[in-house]
Amino acid sequence: MKNIALGQYYPAKSPLHRLDPRIKVLLALIYICAAAFCKNIIGFGVLLVSALLIVALGRIPFKTIFRSLTPVLFVMLFAVFFQVFFTKGDMLLFAWWKLQIYGEGLYLALFTIVRIFTLIIGTSMFLTYTTTPIELTYAIEDLLSPLKKLKVPVHDFAMMMTLALRFIPTLVEEADKIMTAQKARGADFSTGSLVQRAKALKPVLIPLIVSAMRHAVELAVAMECRCYHGDGTRMVVRKCRFSDIAALIVMIIFLAGIIYLNILGLVYTA
Amino acid sequence: MSEISVENVSFFHGKGTPYEIKALDGVTLNIVPNTITGIIGHTGSGKSTLVELFNGILKPAEGRVLLDGADIWAKPKEIRNVRFRVGLVMQYPESQLFEETIRQDIAFGPRNMGLSEQEIEERVIEAAGFVGLGKDMLDKSPFDLSGGQKRRAAIAGIIAMRPDVLILDEPAAGLDPAGREAIFSNIMEYRKNSGSTVVIVSHSMEDMARYCDRVMVMSEGKLIMNGTRDEVFSKPERLAEAGLDIPQITKLMLLLRERGIEVDTGVYTSERAYEELIRLFKKDTAQSR
Ligand SMILES: Nc1ncnc2c1ncn2[C@@H]1O[C@H](COP(=O)(O)OP(=O)(O)O)[C@@H](O)[C@H]1O
Ligand SMILES: [Mg+2]
Repeated sequence: MKNIALGQYYPAKSPLHRLDPRIKVLLALIYICAAAFCKNIIGFGVLLVSALLIVALGRIPFKTIFRSLTPVLFVMLFAVFFQVFFTKGDMLLFAWWKLQIYGEGLYLALFTIVRIFTLIIGTSMFLTYTTTPIELTYAIEDLLSPLKKLKVPVHDFAMMMTLALRFIPTLVEEADKIMTAQKARGADFSTGSLVQRAKALKPVLIPLIVSAMRHAVELAVAMECRCYHGDGTRMVVRKCRFSDIAALIVMIIFLAGIIYLNILGLVYTA
Repeated sequence: MSEISVENVSFFHGKGTPYEIKALDGVTLNIVPNTITGIIGHTGSGKSTLVELFNGILKPAEGRVLLDGADIWAKPKEIRNVRFRVGLVMQYPESQLFEETIRQDIAFGPRNMGLSEQEIEERVIEAAGFVGLGKDMLDKSPFDLSGGQKRRAAIAGIIAMRPDVLILDEPAAGLDPAGREAIFSNIMEYRKNSGSTVVIVSHSMEDMARYCDRVMVMSEGKLIMNGTRDEVFSKPERLAEAGLDIPQITKLMLLLRERGIEVDTGVYTSERAYEELIRLFKKDTAQSR
């Protein structure tokens, strides 16, 4: 239960964990672009290999990765189904009654799978598994800080995000405790009709809201006591290192390579 | 009278995640009926995990939990009946109060048992009486009470189920000395009148020494001592090994022993210490004559 709240961060010592979070946000964005632009058979092969390489670099067990893929399995199947059965082309492979399957459909389905797979690996490896949510908000604040000149309250939004993230585990833990306490009094959360189950949540939600309000008030007081008034600048905790810059350059070359392959030909378009 | 026994039980928190923790490691024990048993141990030693296994809130990864000789997980659908027979007051139970009035809140457990309205009302008044909440308090909102009163209202919510075994996880944590005193005298009163088995989890040696017949000591998920109060307190060195604060008066006796004075170090109340010192003093004067 608690692990969900921690944003699936997977504690480990790996080159990916050590990268600057700001760089990781950029890497994720470039990688997503590469996956989206790719139209080339070789390019898809390269993407697939790179995804596996990234997983290995982050030292995340494949079992964990696989578990995070299961929720999107349904989406993948859905996309594959439509592309296999509804793509029309020149290479007729199979026909029966009204059903026709073309080679183009199979290609498209395969590419869709690779694309979704790499998109998920890219974002989760760079952003969720190897970066804590707090690091991520700091990184986004830093990257968006030029917008401060346009009077966009970047700092306030970042602070709100940070606080929300900070309190999610606390609230989940509290909800867990309250549920346990009510179970000890014979509360039943898992049987009965939908209405009955919704009603059974009242003994959990009311104490939870009460405690969330208490936390909010206590936190506000504590922040005021330390003279927080929302216009301070945060100290930059770390500077970019050589390895960060190197990673960024490698990723840019990777994107350029994928685009170059597209231009080269061997392009597959439906 | 119901008897809880635990056979070779192990339990993991966060099983299968990188945060996996072995909270209990091969624990075997039984709670002797009609006694007050104290479970003591350092923070994180697995006390709360252990008592949550007693009433089927948690399910053991290995081993069995028995109630009157029957495995409580034999019929998982009927686990609620186990929870009604083994009443667990969790740590900081005041966080579970949710109803508009104390009367309704105490009635939550009995209502889940499917009792008649009349029976529920009877039990609510009885349970509130045990914890010293008068009838005039029953129609107040639980959120208007003081900390100690909230705690007692929450305990009444469990007592109202009339469990065979009442378990309290750190019932006095975070209360001032007067509040502690009140809670413990309520528990003692309840025990005298109902004759039920009581289990108290605490990390205060003084509380254990004052109120418990039997004491179990937990350390790093293992049960390292289990016996009557006298048996356990007669080995203060082993308690200190488990990182526990032994009672002040026992510390004094140990210091005297270190200086070569032949005192009984199994003393844990000031009354006993007084007797022991008087005995020594008389022996001493008799010898020197
Ligand atoms: N819900 C939980 N999730 C993960 N770990 C837990 C949870 N509850 C307890 N633990 C861990 O299990 C161990 C035993 O905890 P606990 O039974 O609460 O000990 P005690 O009550 O003696 O302080 C501790 O290391 C604690 O951090
Ligand atoms: Mg505890």
